[in-house]
Amino acid sequence: MANEAYEALRNQAAEAWQQVEKPPRTLIRVPMATCTLAAGADETLAALRAAVDERGLDADVGITGETGLCWLEPVVEVRQPDGSVILYENVTADKVDKLLGDVIGGGVCNDLAFAVAAGPDVDAVQRLEDFDFWAMQERRLIARCGVIDPENIDHYIASGGYGGFVNAAEMDPEALIKMVEESTLRGRSGSNFPTGTKWNFLRGKEREPKYLICNADEGDPGAFVNRIMMECDPHAILEGMLIAAHATGATFGFIYLREEYPLAIERMERAVEQARERGLLGENVLGSGVTLELTVWKGAGSYVCGEESGLLASLDDARGMPRIRPPFPADSGVFGQPTNVNNVESYADVTLMLQKGIEFYQSVGTAANSGTKIFSFSGHIQRVGVVELPFGFALRDLYHAIDPAPWGERRTLKAVQSGAALAGILPAHIALKLPLEPEAFREHGVILGGGGIVFIDDTACIVDLNVMFSWFLEDESCGRCTSCHGGTQRMSEIFRRIARGEGRQDDYGKMDILAQTLQYSNCVHGSASPTIMSRSAEFFREELDEHINNRRCPAQVCRDLIRYEITGASDALAEAAAICPVEAFVQEEEAWSIDQARCIKCNACKDVAPDDVQIVDIAAGVVVPAAATP
Amino acid sequence: MLETEATLEIQQLVAEFRPGNADLLRALHKVQHRYGYVPKEAMGVIARQLRLGEAHVYGTATFYSELRLTPPPEKRVDWCSGPACRLKGSTHVRKVLESVLGIGMEENTENDKLGLHLAQCNGTCDFAPQIWVDGKVVGPLTAADTVKLARELKDEAK
Ligand SMILES: Cc1cc2nc3c(=O)[nH]c(=O)nc-3n(C[C@H](O)[C@H](O)[C@H](O)COP(=O)(O)O)c2cc1C
Ligand code: FES
Repeated sequence: MANEAYEALRNQAAEAWQQVEKPPRTLIRVPMATCTLAAGADETLAALRAAVDERGLDADVGITGETGLCWLEPVVEVRQPDGSVILYENVTADKVDKLLGDVIGGGVCNDLAFAVAAGPDVDAVQRLEDFDFWAMQERRLIARCGVIDPENIDHYIASGGYGGFVNAAEMDPEALIKMVEESTLRGRSGSNFPTGTKWNFLRGKEREPKYLICNADEGDPGAFVNRIMMECDPHAILEGMLIAAHATGATFGFIYLREEYPLAIERMERAVEQARERGLLGENVLGSGVTLELTVWKGAGSYVCGEESGLLASLDDARGMPRIRPPFPADSGVFGQPTNVNNVESYADVTLMLQKGIEFYQSVGTAANSGTKIFSFSGHIQRVGVVELPFGFALRDLYHAIDPAPWGERRTLKAVQSGAALAGILPAHIALKLPLEPEAFREHGVILGGGGIVFIDDTACIVDLNVMFSWFLEDESCGRCTSCHGGTQRMSEIFRRIARGEGRQDDYGKMDILAQTLQYSNCVHGSASPTIMSRSAEFFREELDEHINNRRCPAQVCRDLIRYEITGASDALAEAAAICPVEAFVQEEEAWSIDQARCIKCNACKDVAPDDVQIVDIAAGVVVPAAATP
Repeated sequence: MLETEATLEIQQLVAEFRPGNADLLRALHKVQHRYGYVPKEAMGVIARQLRLGEAHVYGTATFYSELRLTPPPEKRVDWCSGPACRLKGSTHVRKVLESVLGIGMEENTENDKLGLHLAQCNGTCDFAPQIWVDGKVVGPLTAADTVKLARELKDEAK
């Protein structure tokens, strides 16, 4: 029954996909996602469309999602009727004419070519599958990202989309849940809670209606794992929710999406609408007996609303304050009804499992964690982007692939921070030994988290990072627990004091007390908030001590401990004086000096006169002659 | 509460929303979308529409950092407070913005032409450190770049 309706959808979809797979003429596609827009992909797209229209070129122009190669964006894909697919890098609008000049009619633009994704080899252009960044990956969950047009449901269906739901619907819900349990799938938000077990809780509840929540709040600063899925393959998430609906008996769902992701909101809303039009959402989907109504729901900027009970409160017309538990969501969730909350990627995992089968799903990863995880990375690396790796993949290998060659001076990797503000921070020598797996991180008192990884080199200061994170935690505390709002505030104060050079040895004892007290918080926002502080005190003691004992910031970041001094006399100083936003440059008889009372230590002068301006430790007492004569 | 033209208009705007239907944030979003902020008058109107206390509505509106209770600037500059930006010098960028524009985070220039907003990472960290000028990512920025940009913005906002 279900299959027939699905086959009809597939046939229709196959035709649409054929236009991409075997284009009748040159097809140029631009990735449209938040990362690519930042790189100017919208201007590239507009320039391509204008050129093709105005000049009546024999080509079509379309869009795709992003591939995760953020540092090469805009990455433009050119498909030819002969099956050749070539990716071009950094195709900003000004390069469109050059690209078009070469590729219309089947040629290759060697100057911009980045990799051959399919079709015959091209001289001096690597094949995508040989590119180290690509070769290390196991692209399954993000296999469609950068391949399909995320606004076209037919592209999704043609690649087997919604077939996972058809397979699931043929299974008995209990058997389905058992399969999810046995798959080892645990919550990809970083919660690490077994997904099957959670579904079982909801299945066991009789009160109807039951609700499903897709947690798409992705508030972790530095994480953009869920965003890529939503922007580039939105239907995979809806399909996972449909499968969960069959397993649990839920009939309504909310996708709780942060408002900072406007494009993801647009794409998810469009996907829901399209799925509804095709009968893939709503009543009795494909005759399977499964009913699911979905709503995309927009957050308004609150980190704790990513915490599931805060999210539920936010949906329930209240401040998004995490609730006292029990009751748990399975007993009392949205509108007091039984509810299941899962992360975007957890739902996508289920879709993959049902589309490709459990054997395929478990064919990579480790015994404890089968399958893959999507990671996003940023910080002091050359290749900011997104990858999908099997669990157990060595963090060191990831690091080498995203920061292939040394650049600049003073660069040694100092620390790695996974999982954002609540997860912790590790020194590089420990982190780089770890496999990407939750257990390995937990052994060191940190959490692998939702997939965001920040790489930190020795130009950064651990105290400064603590100032930033503790302020974030304080600012985002909902205020329910005194331990949390007071504790995070104290954390913040202590680190600000240390950053000012007013730290004391007994601050370590205070940190310990705070870490203990914060355990007594209602939600994980409070109980995990001391993690970065505690790991910093444990692993970066020397650096903290240097601030506390010697009032010195080794990385010269903490601005109360440094001073800008003029040590040269080149012409660049006139420019530096002009750029100074506070007119702190003083000239006396040719010689420049900095008025320390005015200086805000913004570094602008050093940007324009790097050889003439130096950062000096105040505590060292080294007073460099204000106007070193030439 | 007195019915004024303003409250009548807001009433119409939120007429579709119902109590107990996950509508409070939606109503606040809709009002902010229309006016650029949530005016004081809206609190009472939404409260009555959803049968909630006015303090409850106010409490919710102030809970979220993307809802604002004062008129937005004509041009908004968002400063990213995220980790990648921090590592690459966002504190310098902030210092410059605040000193050149003469305003702090969540403040507008006197003529409301320009405002600063503290934003969260949106995952375009390849452009760190960055700001968004009316939603468009500008980065990576050195402090010197920021001085030039801020001076231009200030001139435009005269
Ligand atoms: C302060 C805080 C913020 C959180 N933010 C998110 C979030 O943005 N997205 C998310 O999926 N889970 C977040 N979580 C975890 C959720 O509470 C919940 O465990 C998760 O959505 C369950 O999904 P999973 O089992 O599929 O991982 C957060 C938790 C805390 C304590
Ligand atoms: S930290 Fe600024 S964009 Fe990610």
